[in-house]
Amino acid sequence: MAVSFDYVAKETAANLWRNRVMALAAVLTVAVSLSLVGTALLLRQVVNRQISQWSNNVSLQVFMNADATPQQLSEIRVLISQEPQITGCTYLNHEQSYLQAKQVLAGEPTALEALTPAITPTVFRCQLQNASDAPAVAAIFNGVPGVFQGHAQFPAQSVRTMQRITNILQVVLLAIAIVLLISSLVLILNAIRMAIFARRREVSVMKLVGATNWFIRIPFMLEGLVQGLIGAIVAAGIVLLSNIGVNYLVRRYLSSSTLPLGQLISTEVVVVVIGVVVGVAGSTIAVRRFLDV
Amino acid sequence: MIRFDDVTKSYLTGIDALSHVSLEIERGEFVFLVGASGSGKTTFLKLLLREETPDSGSIWVAGRDIGRLAPARIPYLRRNLGCVFQDFRLLPNKTVAENVAFALEVIGRPRGVIRTQVTQVLDLVGLGQKMDRRPHELSGGEQQRVAIARAFVNRPLVLLADEPTGNLDPATSSGIMKLLERINKTGTTVLMATHDVGIVDEMRRRVIQLEHGHLVRDQARGIYGDASDTQSRGYSSISVGAVAGDDEELASMPYRQTRARRGRR
Repeated sequence: MAVSFDYVAKETAANLWRNRVMALAAVLTVAVSLSLVGTALLLRQVVNRQISQWSNNVSLQVFMNADATPQQLSEIRVLISQEPQITGCTYLNHEQSYLQAKQVLAGEPTALEALTPAITPTVFRCQLQNASDAPAVAAIFNGVPGVFQGHAQFPAQSVRTMQRITNILQVVLLAIAIVLLISSLVLILNAIRMAIFARRREVSVMKLVGATNWFIRIPFMLEGLVQGLIGAIVAAGIVLLSNIGVNYLVRRYLSSSTLPLGQLISTEVVVVVIGVVVGVAGSTIAVRRFLDV
Repeated sequence: MIRFDDVTKSYLTGIDALSHVSLEIERGEFVFLVGASGSGKTTFLKLLLREETPDSGSIWVAGRDIGRLAPARIPYLRRNLGCVFQDFRLLPNKTVAENVAFALEVIGRPRGVIRTQVTQVLDLVGLGQKMDRRPHELSGGEQQRVAIARAFVNRPLVLLADEPTGNLDPATSSGIMKLLERINKTGTTVLMATHDVGIVDEMRRRVIQLEHGHLVRDQARGIYGDASDTQSRGYSSISVGAVAGDDEELASMPYRQTRARRGRR
């Protein structure tokens, strides 16, 4: 049987309006939880992009002692050539290393004053095949005579730390989002239950005159869907705003380019789909439990 | 049109609401269903609407065994059975026309059809001038007319009325009865459960009497109570009168004839 579009649209709109406080609560909870979901997804994408960029040009820096002997240096060169993870290496002698140190220590004049080319450690700068192996590779050099300890693995370690922090952040955000999604499902369920209760007279007349079960159910289910959808659209707007914020931070502090449009769109699609699913699930449960047809 | 084949229905209390009831109602008949409260009238109507299912026996409506109806087909059964109740059951936030139109809207009739049928049926029940009123602006009799219009607008095969005059004064009731007769004349079968002695006695139509779930009387052109007890044909005399004592025996007799003869005062 064809359910007339006019009728369903009219009924759904009337229901939402009659029940507007409950509907608003449900919509806002969906919006907040989905904003968190969307932001967590954006964050993950940004971090992954940044990490993969770093991974491509991560370098292992082997700092030598300033007084390392030429023999020690050649032993290190042999070690480097034997390590398959290392794809390429450049050696910075005292003068080159001093120039680099001057850049790094530009903010600390006192430290710089104490430094002369002669006492600046020389450095091997090596490119690695795989950034995540950096600590292991660095360990090979730690303890070798002539190597100034502890400085070998610093870029990879910062990548690790960042990865760990963002993982924790993501888990926390998603956990909060899941709790909020469950509560928005319950709120939608309750909103639909109230709507069913408010319309029990209509429902009993509908059954009496022979309206089909789906005809009775559809306006209520659509009401839940609309609540989920509106919440999701608000969330999509918030995700768009937070994307602008994230892009600003990326441009300011990180070397990677901003998130491509495709990834933003797919994030928004995920947000909207989750919203619709939550709305439909909530109203389906309500209709099954409270609408006795 | 309607056939009960040895129908028994009991509720969780263990008391039979209906016990081995068999009867047949032809197309176009006007039938009164009488009996004290708790005698099984409401169960009878609920079984017809398939709000309940019988424990044993089968019920046929328009040639179909409704006990075997798939749940998804029940709405289509109900489209053939118009329903009117004592408490009208109108929707207070809809106008008269909207109340009647609602019955067609929710079974997916096109709008043009709805408009013409609603106007027609409201003229039939005499409320053509009050289409835009709300139920609370109408008298009880007028509200019941709206309810009848709503039950009849889809031209059902059968009109079921559960004490339609229960809330109305005698003058108004007789107006409602004239309306039901008129509907009956269009070929619609009318089955009316009632306590209203005056109406049953005046109309002299077929009377089916239930007592503690048993069919105790099925009388063409009958009256409400036991005919031998003309002084007090009231409600109490029926439920505790001579009939009550020997249900089984009476039910097994060729009862219709006996009663009919005695019924002619």
